[in-house]
Amino acid sequence: MPKTDLYAGLGLMAFGLITLFVLIPAQTSDGGDATISPALLPQLCAIAITGLAVLLTLQAAGKIKRGKAAGQTVPAAEWASSAAVIIAVGVGVLLFKYVNPAVAAGLLILGLMLYMGERRIYFLIGIPAVLLIGAWLLFYKLLGTAIG
Amino acid sequence: MLEELSSVAGSAFAVGNLAWIFFGVTLGYLVGALPGLGKGTATAVAIPLTFYLEPLSAIAFLVGISKGSTAGSAVSAILLNTPGEPSSTPTAMAGYPLARAGKAQKALKMGLFASVLGDFFSTIVLILIAQELAEYALGIGPVELTAILAFSMVFIAGLSGRSMIKGLIAGLFGILVSCVGLEVETGSPRLTFGLIELYDGLPLIPVAIGMLALAEMMTQIGQRQRLLDEADLLKGSSKREDQIVTLDDWKKCFRPILRGSLIGTVIGILPGLGASVGSFLSYGAERRASGRGADFEESGAIEGVAAAESADNAVVPASFVPLFAIGIPGSVIAAILISAFVIHGITPGPLLFLENKELILGVYLSMIAAGVILLFVGYFGQNIFARIVRVSPALVMPVVVFLCCVGAYLQGGGTFGIGVMIIFGIIGFFAKKYDFSFVTFLIGFVIGPSFELSLRQSIGLVTNASELIDHPVAIVFAVMAVVGVWRLTVMQRKQMAEMAKSQTN
Repeated sequence: MPKTDLYAGLGLMAFGLITLFVLIPAQTSDGGDATISPALLPQLCAIAITGLAVLLTLQAAGKIKRGKAAGQTVPAAEWASSAAVIIAVGVGVLLFKYVNPAVAAGLLILGLMLYMGERRIYFLIGIPAVLLIGAWLLFYKLLGTAIG
Repeated sequence: MLEELSSVAGSAFAVGNLAWIFFGVTLGYLVGALPGLGKGTATAVAIPLTFYLEPLSAIAFLVGISKGSTAGSAVSAILLNTPGEPSSTPTAMAGYPLARAGKAQKALKMGLFASVLGDFFSTIVLILIAQELAEYALGIGPVELTAILAFSMVFIAGLSGRSMIKGLIAGLFGILVSCVGLEVETGSPRLTFGLIELYDGLPLIPVAIGMLALAEMMTQIGQRQRLLDEADLLKGSSKREDQIVTLDDWKKCFRPILRGSLIGTVIGILPGLGASVGSFLSYGAERRASGRGADFEESGAIEGVAAAESADNAVVPASFVPLFAIGIPGSVIAAILISAFVIHGITPGPLLFLENKELILGVYLSMIAAGVILLFVGYFGQNIFARIVRVSPALVMPVVVFLCCVGAYLQGGGTFGIGVMIIFGIIGFFAKKYDFSFVTFLIGFVIGPSFELSLRQSIGLVTNASELIDHPVAIVFAVMAVVGVWRLTVMQRKQMAEMAKSQTN
């Protein structure tokens, strides 16, 4: 998949350079009297990632030039499903923080079930209820910890 | 060794410990049997359940889950042609045609027997060699350890994906991410963006759950319809010989099981190769030995199921050899198990046999007990698991996402952990789609702190290149790392060329 490799290579090159020249200097101290700078390993990794990303980009560009550009793409359904999962979990976190843990968990499960096409009312009510009661029994009663 | 093992038998075979193993194996089998869910997801999601357990029960429970889910993934592979994970693909290739011919029960039973035998063989090898290797590893200094870790990363990067460059990038990214937190020598914050939660570094469990489980769910939810389509093609059989494993079947399968166990064990000991390589190699060897060619997949082959399953299940115990002896996780399960050890204040590595010998011996016995329980659960629960594979993904996937959130919350410091899980879920999704090995990333992330510490100590010990002469083992591993990059790159190019050629044909 040379085209996706080309994009991945370019993205990683940018990531490596930003890490090396912006993030590491801004987010790492010089170490003062330390014999070895705290930035040593992150810098080595960033340099190596950038170098390898250049190789990946060149390799992919070469393949495209030779006419081997065909490759697999991510199906639209998978983009949509990944976005749905992220949105559901994100909304769940917000509800957890600002409303109630039980409401957040219940709506997270319910939302995903509806998204996946489940319409049977007894499952839509039963599964979140069983899970919430099960989690409460397991974590609050049996293991003695608390969520929320 | 036997005397030492018998001294801990009381705690390993205590009712409480056996109950946790039973729970782990059953839960693992159940998750493994569900289409699209594998042992990485099962083990990562289960870690929060172990926080409040005794160390032995916690590790035994997780080992039970990994064994159960490895064996259980054969159920969805044989019945639905949908492997729970890539390593069960050969099982689906040989077993699904048998299921379509009405021999599902036979294939499932032989898959289970082969799984248990492969697992048992590999566990015995683990018991026999891990301690010996650890005694040797105790003499290794920081310079040698740095070279060994570098070599392991190259080896893992080269073998866990189709591109050495991508493998190395994934491993280096893992090491870079492990640098987040307070720096070991000066104690100054590094790449923390002012967040106090990051001072202890990124928590492993939310990272692992995000990369393994959440990313998998993001993909699987998009493929939900395909998961159950294959189920409609199955048919039943009333013939007794189609439902049991006969003496003839055993005669056919004995040699493949033995070969598969051996292949799986060797592959498991080598870090990074993984169960897929083991099961495909074993399946390929059996296919060649049978001389049946394409008929092997067209009509199905009980010996193919046995070869693949024995190797697949032999990989997991063997992958604990480098973990217990040197502290290098050789597989995803081993990387996840490290976090369980750390949660209970134990550091895997050669000192494990000096400081926590009772625990490790207890783990060995628990692994053997888990094998026996696996046979029991798999055999008597077969009909139930066969029904479970048909449960709608719309009921299963939301539950798994919920469990991911609970796990990340408990081990990641509250909603911060869920945030970390989401970020690494997105990274994991792209890593899967663009063929960057998330296994290599996770192993880089786990070994990053040891690598940095040994690198710093090495720089202090070796002030100029000529002093490296005093460390011949390090030189050997450094040279092997360089040669490894070259050889593995050449090997991958040949494989890619062959793949392209076969696609054109």
